[in-house]
Amino acid sequence: MTTKANSTVSVGSIAVPYGHVIGNEKWRGSEIAQRLQGKIRLIFEDGLGLVDFHLSNRTCILYISEADLVAGDEFKRRLVRFRNASRLSGIVIVEKTQISDQYFSAVQKFVVLELGMVLLPVGNQGEASQLITQLVREQSKDHSSNPFLRKQCSQLAEPSLFRTVQQIPGVGKTKALLLLQQFGSLHRLCNASVKELELVVGQTVAQQIYTFLCS
Amino acid sequence: PALFSCDPLEKKPSLCILVDSREISSGAEVISSLKAVHGVKVQVCSLSSSDYIVSNCMAVERTFLSDLVNYVNRNKVTQRIQCLQNMFKRICVIVEKDRIKTGEMSRFFQRTQYYDSMLSALVQAGVQILFSSCQEETAGLLKDLALVEQGKNAAIRVPTEVEGHRQEMLNFYLTIPNLSYLAALNMCHHFGSVKKMANSSPCDIAAAAQVSPQKAEEIYRYFHYPFDRQMLPDHLCPKGKSNAAKD
Repeated sequence: MTTKANSTVSVGSIAVPYGHVIGNEKWRGSEIAQRLQGKIRLIFEDGLGLVDFHLSNRTCILYISEADLVAGDEFKRRLVRFRNASRLSGIVIVEKTQISDQYFSAVQKFVVLELGMVLLPVGNQGEASQLITQLVREQSKDHSSNPFLRKQCSQLAEPSLFRTVQQIPGVGKTKALLLLQQFGSLHRLCNASVKELELVVGQTVAQQIYTFLCS
Repeated sequence: PALFSCDPLEKKPSLCILVDSREISSGAEVISSLKAVHGVKVQVCSLSSSDYIVSNCMAVERTFLSDLVNYVNRNKVTQRIQCLQNMFKRICVIVEKDRIKTGEMSRFFQRTQYYDSMLSALVQAGVQILFSSCQEETAGLLKDLALVEQGKNAAIRVPTEVEGHRQEMLNFYLTIPNLSYLAALNMCHHFGSVKKMANSSPCDIAAAAQVSPQKAEEIYRYFHYPFDRQMLPDHLCPKGKSNAAKD
């Protein structure tokens, strides 16, 4: 599912084998790399440009360290360059530590609200490796195992219709059922004349229903 | 730090955010900060599904970090978000740091595998996530979200307070399955009567309720759905009238 190769642009997608992560060469020997060992297969490549890790041919990670945050706005230029050049969905992992905490809310506003990218904070590289592991698992899992992607089974409309009709002033359970059985649908009920309504519920309530629906 | 220069959206007409009535107790400072600090028009109503509605398209769920870290609260969080997914085009979860009692250590929280998997699942499903350290910050984020939505031309524009016949109409529309409070409110203001609404095309419904064509189609089908007595569960029926088979 995640192995299809796409043509490459400068910061474009690359083919990521199933269950693998392709890491930027610069991360070789890092704590993240070490901690990912044994959990997912990490392959290093040169020339990934702005991207730190490719999780699939669609998703990649840009890592912003505490040092990047303290150093100034360079990381912002990097993100903007990525955003302008790439069609990949970028997940920005940012080190939110005691030192970098003061920058976090501004970074979040920039990344999420202005650039429309995903931002996830971690405390250190160790946490980052745990997060990346889960992101990779999520990518390679079947959609149905994600509770937020699962297609909801459609529910019967009858209980809702029954509830809807009871919102009409003067109509309780018994009258609601009679009206639904008589007219068959909300559309037909809404177009019923007072006369037709009177045949089901009696004069006063018929008028009340008619007034509610038509005014 | 002046990372953000002037925001061009800042000068547009005042923002409106709907707040669920339960937030009065659990998010009092969010509400007061929205009003006092950000000058947002806040309408408290019984939203039941979401905590906040910031536009025609976006619902915001405010959740505590502990609810995402502990597996125990799995169902509560997931069900609420699933429910919102049926109603809104865009969903944002604001993960707020739990309030710390005085003297308590606040520096570390125990990151769990469950937390990372929840974040991953939300990201994969396109749910926006924002992190907040306190209620005041949450208010700021809500305002920012409402501004972004305003830029997308989705701001809440209809009067949010209804009474009398309009209130009855609103209650009627609110029983339509998977219809957001705001879509119901829009319908209330755009259709002169329920009858007019019932006779509208999906296209008219989409324009009036400010919903997607698919959602409008769903509403249209609901109004034309042929009611089948046999499909109504027994426990809902008027007393002593039914012995139809259960399903």
